Amino acid sequence: MSTMPTGRTVQASRERDRPAPSDQAPALPRRRRVGGGGAAPYLFVLPFVVLFVVFMVAPIVIAIVNSTFSSQSSGLGFGGASTVFVGVQNYLRAFGDRDFLASFGRVLLYGVVQVPLMMVIAATLALLFDSALVRAKRAFQFAVFLPYAVPGVIAALLWGFFYQPSVSPLVQGLQSLGIDADLLAPGTILWSVANVGIWSYAGINMIILFSALQAVPSEVFEAARLDGAGDLRIALSIKLPMIAPAVLLTTLSTVIGTLQLFNEPQVLQSITPNISSDWTPNMAVYAASTLGRDAHLGSAMAVILGVVTLAVSLLLVRATNVREGGNGR
Amino acid sequence: MAARTTTPLGWRRTTAAVAAAASIAALAACGSTGDNTASGESGGAADAGSDPTTVEFWGWVPGLEDLVAQWNDENPDIQVNFHRMTGDDGQKVEAAVDAGAGPDLVQLSTHSLPDYVIQKRVQDITEYVSGDEANYTPAAWASVTFDGHVYGVPQGIGPTGMMYRQDILDQYGIPVPTTWDEYLQAARDLHAANPDVYIANLSPGEIGQWMQEVQQAEGSWYGIDGDSWTVGVNDAASKQVAERWQTLLDEGLVTTELMWTPEYWSLVNAGTIATISYAAWFPNALVENAADTSGLWRVAPMPTPAGSDNQGDSGGAAVVVLAGAEQPAAAAAFASWLNGSDETQEALIVDGGLFPSTINGLANPALMEASDFFGGQVINEVFAESAAKTPATWVDGPDYGTAQTAVLDEFAKVVAGSETFVEALDNAQAAVVADLEARGLSVSE
Repeated sequence: MSTMPTGRTVQASRERDRPAPSDQAPALPRRRRVGGGGAAPYLFVLPFVVLFVVFMVAPIVIAIVNSTFSSQSSGLGFGGASTVFVGVQNYLRAFGDRDFLASFGRVLLYGVVQVPLMMVIAATLALLFDSALVRAKRAFQFAVFLPYAVPGVIAALLWGFFYQPSVSPLVQGLQSLGIDADLLAPGTILWSVANVGIWSYAGINMIILFSALQAVPSEVFEAARLDGAGDLRIALSIKLPMIAPAVLLTTLSTVIGTLQLFNEPQVLQSITPNISSDWTPNMAVYAASTLGRDAHLGSAMAVILGVVTLAVSLLLVRATNVREGGNGR
Repeated sequence: MAARTTTPLGWRRTTAAVAAAASIAALAACGSTGDNTASGESGGAADAGSDPTTVEFWGWVPGLEDLVAQWNDENPDIQVNFHRMTGDDGQKVEAAVDAGAGPDLVQLSTHSLPDYVIQKRVQDITEYVSGDEANYTPAAWASVTFDGHVYGVPQGIGPTGMMYRQDILDQYGIPVPTTWDEYLQAARDLHAANPDVYIANLSPGEIGQWMQEVQQAEGSWYGIDGDSWTVGVNDAASKQVAERWQTLLDEGLVTTELMWTPEYWSLVNAGTIATISYAAWFPNALVENAADTSGLWRVAPMPTPAGSDNQGDSGGAAVVVLAGAEQPAAAAAFASWLNGSDETQEALIVDGGLFPSTINGLANPALMEASDFFGGQVINEVFAESAAKTPATWVDGPDYGTAQTAVLDEFAKVVAGSETFVEALDNAQAAVVADLEARGLSVSE
């Protein structure tokens, strides 16, 4: 154990070394200053609190409040409209909308395939770059990361040209090989969108995982090597478990990104009819609020999407914690 | 790539640069015409002696910059700031108005106007523009009038015609179809003669092409029954159009690309599709995107249903004074001049590519110029006749955005083969009725 400490024991030993605050005299004045009503800490934290409240809490509250109202007219409506409280009616409408519910099923299918694929690609690349196998690491890392610097809308436009037969070297190349590929058909469009997502975000996930690998002390690998572990064994049994928090972080952000899918399908919608206006939950929110001019229904849908995203994130974190705890103890 | 819900903006944006260059020459010619700014003077008089009133105006018609500059030169009291609308600016307008930050004047599809009236996003400008009524076609004036109040100044309409490739029809010995029955026969003959050629492209994203035929068949998405709306997305006329295109689709006689995409223009340029039925502003887009086919096209009336000589209209536009405008008189004065003055008609027709809804515009010689692209044909003769034969049955109503989205989403499923046009219309109908009722509007079924 002493020759090969895991991350957790290292941390534990650091905590052991740190003196308890109550044992130290200088800790007391510090505490007294806080308890004495000094405004400094509050002032320091104020900018964050203000920004957080204005741009995070307030919009959520406004959306929730909006979702319980509805713009109501009577007769032909030319007498104008008034905003009235309708309780959960907008939620009932949202849950009664089959296409809105179907959009969740669609991103679920998308996520089930895209998230593992993305993580496998990102982790494989990160491990490769971290190993001694790859030459010209910086150049390759840059190449893998570069797509992330391309804004999502531009990436979708770019790939859109690759998907349209009349302008696509890709489709034309496949055709010349006798393969008639329709990348915009009802059955293929979901994966064409997923491809854009992986192309755009595999790079940033790779960088996060790679950075985490850099933080792992090299003695660990040396010890493993001395014990006779090969490169593959070190990658899978040592490196991956040690960067588990980073893997969780990237998985979580990928899952959230999947639930909030919007830019890529919204752009590709202009070149294929097979992406409906409510193809993803986020697009359904846009369709209800902007195209359908019903911000109240849109707010209800947005709240539902937010709750689902939160629930999925919590489930994922909890599932990972349970598994880690089980393994560790 | 134009978003499919903002089609007119899409192509107009692409043509804007060319049109702007052309308009300089055109304006030089019309700068010295008569001074017909009666309403402009009244608006100006209200502010005489004070700082000039400024009017914020958003629009998309090519060449508007030059007309605004001309107005600003001639009317120091009312200065107009113009913003060219692109992308989803049309959707931004509503949020801007609700936030009290909108422009004073905006160009708007007349299909969207009822919603603006119901939500009180536009001002009643009857008192400023009622004198203009005589210069507009009755249908155009009706499209901006609700419950006896005028909410905008009409700017152009979209009477339809059938653009066709004379060379392709000649090559296979197919006569120009004049009825939809002949059209189906022509489609079959053409495709039999050459399996790579289709009579038309059925774009599942092009609502205007659908509405023009529904209107021709004397249908309407909306109607007013006493104090209630009626919804007719799946009315008998629509189902008649649905059956026509279902047959063409089922027999594989049409392509189904989205309009305005590179795929679509490649079909047009390659001579894969022989006819395009669309509004009077479409020829400009054709000239722009299929320049290599110049001289091969002609325009004929859109084929007609049995026993009718009706034509259709894909919809017009209007310039409206938005709720936040503090000087509605000045804004209305400019709108009135822009759309109705003798000075502006030629620029709107030549540079803007508009088909006029004004009497003086229809009489303007610029409208009846021969087009080289169409083999020297005076194509607006066809569109003018079409405008005269458009039945006045179409009524615009609330929730047009929802209706359009619902219909197009369903049409995508039709083209993908997962439902029929009739089923699509029934589904869209249910969605629109449910939406109107959810807003407390009265719907009679």
